[in-house]
This record gives sequence, structure tokens and C-alpha cells, in this order.
Amino acid sequence: MNMKAILKLSAVAAVIATAAPAAGTHPVTGEKLSDNQTFTYRQLDQFPTLDPQMNEETEGHHVIRDLFEGLLIQDADGNLIPGVATSYEASNENKTYTFHLRPEAKWSNGEPVTAADFVYGWQRAVDPANASPYAWYMEMASIVNASEIIAGEKPVEDLGVKAIDDHTLEVQLIKPLPYFPMMTTYSTMMPAPRATIEKYGAKWTDPENIVSNGAYTLTAMVMNEYQTREKNPMYWDADNVIIEKTTGMIINDVNQALTRYKAGEIDHLEPLPAGQYPALLKQMPDEAHSVPRLCSYYYAFNQRPDAIPELKDVRVRQALSYAVDRDVIVNQILKGGQWPSYDFTHIKTAGFEVPEIDYANWTQAERDAEAKKLMQEAGVKDLKLKLIYNTDENHKQIATIIAQMWKQKLGVETELQNFEWKTYLDVRRDGQFDVARVAWCADYNEASTFLNVLTTDNEQNDGKWSNAEFDRLMAASATAEDPEVMYTDAEKVLSDDMGILPIYHYANTFLLKSDIKGWPYNNAENNWYSKDLYRVAE
Amino acid sequence: MLTFIIKRLAVAIPTLLILVIFSYLIMYAAPGGPFDSERQLPPQVMANLMAKYGLDQPLIVQIARYVWNVVVHFDFGPSFIYKDQTVNDIIRQGFPVTLTYGFWSFVVATSVGMSLGILAAIYHNSWLDYLAVGISVGAQVLPNFVMAPILVLTFTLWLGWLPGGGWQGGQWQYVIMPVIALSTSFMASISRLTRSSMLEVLNANYIRTARAKGLPMRRVIFRHALKPALLPVISYLGPAFVGMITGSVVIDIYFSTGGIGIFFVNSAINRDYSVIMGITILTGALTVLFNLVVDILYAWIDPKIRY
Repeated sequence: MNMKAILKLSAVAAVIATAAPAAGTHPVTGEKLSDNQTFTYRQLDQFPTLDPQMNEETEGHHVIRDLFEGLLIQDADGNLIPGVATSYEASNENKTYTFHLRPEAKWSNGEPVTAADFVYGWQRAVDPANASPYAWYMEMASIVNASEIIAGEKPVEDLGVKAIDDHTLEVQLIKPLPYFPMMTTYSTMMPAPRATIEKYGAKWTDPENIVSNGAYTLTAMVMNEYQTREKNPMYWDADNVIIEKTTGMIINDVNQALTRYKAGEIDHLEPLPAGQYPALLKQMPDEAHSVPRLCSYYYAFNQRPDAIPELKDVRVRQALSYAVDRDVIVNQILKGGQWPSYDFTHIKTAGFEVPEIDYANWTQAERDAEAKKLMQEAGVKDLKLKLIYNTDENHKQIATIIAQMWKQKLGVETELQNFEWKTYLDVRRDGQFDVARVAWCADYNEASTFLNVLTTDNEQNDGKWSNAEFDRLMAASATAEDPEVMYTDAEKVLSDDMGILPIYHYANTFLLKSDIKGWPYNNAENNWYSKDLYRVAE
Repeated sequence: MLTFIIKRLAVAIPTLLILVIFSYLIMYAAPGGPFDSERQLPPQVMANLMAKYGLDQPLIVQIARYVWNVVVHFDFGPSFIYKDQTVNDIIRQGFPVTLTYGFWSFVVATSVGMSLGILAAIYHNSWLDYLAVGISVGAQVLPNFVMAPILVLTFTLWLGWLPGGGWQGGQWQYVIMPVIALSTSFMASISRLTRSSMLEVLNANYIRTARAKGLPMRRVIFRHALKPALLPVISYLGPAFVGMITGSVVIDIYFSTGGIGIFFVNSAINRDYSVIMGITILTGALTVLFNLVVDILYAWIDPKIRY
């Protein structure tokens, strides 16, 4: 046998070996795999884009995570694991990060993924001509010159990210940022295929044009109907990818989606129809799940200079908060495994230690008594509040029941007003409220993503609560050796001053067919990658 | 007739222009904008977005530029929300879908509706009449957002005959349920209209004359009664046809058909200005067109009408 034939044979053997998992057993667990390695899930809405740098929401991020791979990715527990980068080190007092890229990483057209592809992608994110709605992400990541470039004061080439060579990427930050590596898992920081983008412009993400470096490539996309992604043979770890094809089906109506789930048309449905989790859990105990979701639901008190004076009194804010029976909201309205909350940061946030908050441990009767006492002390009678929320059945129920609790326990009259979403944002930002519904979701799995929102200068702080000690703690935490202590202290300050009225911490409720395995139930950011899933034979 | 058509088409141009200006103003006056979200964008990022989509220009410049692009280049601009799509892309994808299920709904609604109405009128006060009236009243009171889930429960979950949604380029299995859901209420209206107008005609003197001179019933109905009886129905069909082919958001929501209806409603919710405008113009133009078609049909059916 000559050399060529041997090579040929070994190539055939390699193909057989790589094809083996799909037909046989799982390489690690040894479970028997189904012949059907497809995964179909429900999407609520059409996502706005598949361009990683232009993306700004979760639905698109789920798809982009399959199509593109950043420097680091997450495992089933949400821990950082190597993506395109095999390792990295921080230097210069944690202000310089050097990432080492794996040489075998390839784009779906066979070209190697290089450090320059990351530089190009990151520059696109801040380029004012591109006007990415997520440009601020690069500012938040503290990359050198990001703000100046967004403001049009410096050229994109000045961004603090450099390709030292094809496989070494160096990032310069303006200040040490403990969670910087975590941020590289998000769409905005994924690499971008320059030649393809320059050739096709905005249409580069069409299935016939797109070039991607993740475990999957986009093979079909019909807006408001479905899109499919299929295994990318060029992916560096393709041998370990079991699911061959993932389909996202856009089904706006959740009950319709539930019927189609039961009919076997989809394998995964999230979220469940409001309030139906307990019933579905009973019906399908192996398929219904509730996991933490890093979002926090709260009411903001208007603390602007022109706000009603009663709300400036901490005792009134405390009384209003104490009078809210969160267990009723969580157990009787939401019923999806949410947590009643007495602090802002979601209790399942990595590393976060919930402070001792007194009223969290009281009984509701004790809270009510204290609330009445505080109102009396404050000398407030006939308080009238305007509570605003965006039009939604759940928000309405929660607002109604809270208004009722305030009325019964404190004699507070609450006027409820709802608005359609964009109008709501306008009204809320304008401060035309006494109390407003707000929800905040984590950008990354660390407490500062929540707490920074309530600092005095933050654009998202619509209640305009302001506390010097809180601001000081948050500023100090950015460079602190152990920021977690400061986060806990900041929560304590927030709670003592009742800067907001925390209501509940989110949970994600979903149905997943029991033959789909590998779901990352413990990834608190709910980041799932199709490449980690597989379907077992029944 | 030809001058009439030309005149009507000439009037359509200012009509559409007024439609564009009014829609633009109303849209502009609505609170919130395309780039507002829970996270308030930093001013500089917002400024870049506004500049990219020309929203930093004075209103009059925006409208003029928009009209210019539409008229000269037939370019409805990029979607403000779907970053990889233009409005032309969206209409190109969504309109054929809507047109397909809209057209078949129209065919079903008119053929079934008219047959029911005619039968009911001919066999007035018989069991057939009651049955036809019963069906149309039933169809009328069953709105499509109730029909849609019932259809999917029945044909997808219980019987397993049809896919529960999607479009797949318009394969017949995917078209059936949307057509049933969309056509029923139109069918009911058409059937009731046909029945009452047919009854009126059948009681007219000239029909009595026709019958008195011994013409067979079939000839009386098809030669003499049908045409005049259809006049009020036809004036309903024009707007109904436009209604069906310009999209039903309910169909798109419940059956994931990806038609123009869902884009229209989402664009309003998202303040996707260019998409709102594009679909408004499309709907406006089709309305003008089919009103004209109805007028022409009128003249053809009723010799008394001359333009």
C-alpha cells in the first residue's frame, strides 16, 4: 500500500469515527443516541438581526451563539471555558488582557479565524457609521478609546484592541475590570468576517452569503416563520457536535405554541403561559422546568425634585414596601418558581451574597404592623399615588393586588395607569409617575450589572433615587480586590433607604422534551448552545 | 370609460401623497421611537443611530427625502428594527404569503358565501334557508382568533392531519387552516348580503313577469335575478378583498405564516417607521386600485351606471 492510499484510508477512517457519535452512543455518557439529531424550539418573536455586532437582545443572541464563537464560551454551569481563545492572561494591573487563539479555528468557508477578525468585529461595534445599538457594551467593557470613537472624536483604528500576530489578541482597558473575560461571551465581542461583510453589506447575514465560525451555519431564514442552522463541518470541535440541525420556529401566541409542543412539533417551549407552570408540571413532570433567570422586578419611587414630598420620606417608602405581601404575588399570580425579593440583585447571581435584611425575615403580619406604625410616625394621611406599568396581564394583576394591599393596610389610594410599551418608556423617563414598574436583566453574571443601574448618574435610574454612600461603594467596587463585600454593603444601603421597592426575582419556566439531554439547567444566564445538546434514543 | 379610469388613476396620486404625509405626521407624533428600549441608550449612541437613519433631519426634509426615494428609486428604505432587511425585502417576503392565503380565502368566502345566500333566498323559509342562515350567523360570531386555536387543537393535536403552523413556501397543508380561519367571517357577511339582496330582487315585479311568462326557474335566477342581486355584494367585495390580501395579523400570529399583517402590527409597536410607511402605502395603493376595479365591475353589471 503506498503512502497516498494509506492517507486516503485514514481519511475514511476519520470520517467514520467522526460520524460515529450521531448514529451510536454519546462519547462521554455512553447513552444510546437517537437517529434523529434535530432540535426545534419556539421563538416568541422575529429577532432583529443575526449580525453579532448589531444584536441587542436575547432571542437573536441564542442564534448568534450557535453561529459564531467568541474568545470564551460558557459551559453547562455558566463557567467560562475556552472558545476561540485557548487561554488568556491579564497584566499591567489587570488593564491588559492577552488572548491566545487556537490555530485550528476556522470560518465556515475554510479560512482561519485570526486575531484580526476580532479586531475588525470589535471596531464595527463602536464605529459610528454602523451605529450599533450595543456600542455602549464596548464602553462598559472599558476598552481604551471606545467612548471617543463612538462620539466620533477618534478613528476606529484607535480602539484598544490589537492583533499582535494571527493568534494573539491584546486588549487594553482604561481601568481594571474583574468581569471583562465574562463579557467576551456576548455577541458584540464575536469576530466578524471582513471579506464577506464588505462584499454583501447589510445582506451578509442572509443564508446564501453568511460566513460564520461557530458550531453551526445558517441554512434557511424566513422572517416571522422559522430559521434553521446546521452543523458546521469546519468548526474546530465539530467531532463533538451531536445535534445536526436546530430550528427556531416563531410562534407568537403562547397557547398555540403549547398545542404544537404537545403535538410534537417543537422540543422546547419558553416561557410557559402565565400561571400554568404548576399544572404543566403535574401533567408532564419530566418536561416542565423552572430555573433562575437573572432579572429583577421592582417598583421605582419617583425621587425627582418635583416628586410628591411624601415619597421623599424614607418611612413612607418603607411602609409601602413592607405592606406588599410578595408571597401572594409569587405563589398566587406568577406560580412559576420566582423568588419574593427584598433586595435588588437576583439572589442566584454568581458570587453574590444577600445582605441581612430585617424585614425579609419578618412575618407578613409583623411587616404590616410596622408599615402602619411608620405611616403614623411620618404623619401621612390620604396619600394618593399614581402607579404606572406597561400593558401586560401580569403587570396589571400585580399592580392591582399591590394597590389593594396599600389601600387595605395603609389607606393609600392608588391610581393605576397602563401604557403601550414605547409610550410607557417615554412617560417613565419623563418622570410622570409616583411609582413605576421596572424590570432589569443582567448583562453578565455579576452583581454590579444590577447595582450600577441605581447609581445617581445612571441613565436607567428612572426613579432618580440618589445616595452618596451607595455611589461611593459602587465606584470603589470597580477596582476593589473583593467587590462582593461592597455589593452586599450597597444592597444594605439601598434596603435601609428603600430606594426601590423590590418585588420578585425572575425564574424561567419552560417545557423540554425528555429525550433532549445536555440542557444547561444551571447556567443562570440561560445561555444554551446547540452543540452541547443531544437526543437520546427512546 | 377610459377617461374615467385615467381620471381615477390621476386622483390616486395626490390621495397617496396625502396618505404618506398624514401617516408620517401621526407616526412622528406617537410617543417613543424605534430605538427606545428598557435600556436607555447613551446620548452618543442614540445620536449615531438617529444620524444613520436620517432622523436627525428636520421633519420636512425627512418626508421629502422619503417621498423622493419611493417615487424615483422605488426604495422604501431600510427597516429601523430588522437591521439586515430593507422594507422592500420585507414586503417581497411577506406580501406573496398574504396574497396567497388572502386570495384563496376570497375564493372560498365568495363561492361558499354566495351559494349559501342564493340557496337561502330561493328556498326562503325552508330548512335550507334556516341552515344557511345558521351557518353564516355561526361563522360570524366565531372570530378568527377563536377559530385559529380550535382548528389547531383539532387538526394538529387530536387528528394529526395538518401542521400547526408555518408556511413552507405555501405548501397546501400549511394553507388550509389559515384560509378556513380567515374566510369564515367574510363568508358569513357575503352570504347574508347575497341572501337579503336576492330576496329583494326575487320579489321585484320584473321577476314576477319573467316567471309569469313561464320561464324556467333556473333561467329566471341566472339570467335575470343574479346580476342585479350581486351589486351590493360587489361593493362589499372590493374592500373585503383588499382586507384579505393586505394581511390579517391574527392569521400571522396564530399560524406563524410570516405574512405582511404581523410585520405591520409589529412595526407599529416597534415604531419601525419605514416599515409602517411601506405597508401603509402598499395597503393604500391596493385600496385605491380595488375600489376602481369595483367601480368598473359595477358599470359592467349595471347598464344604468355610466361614467
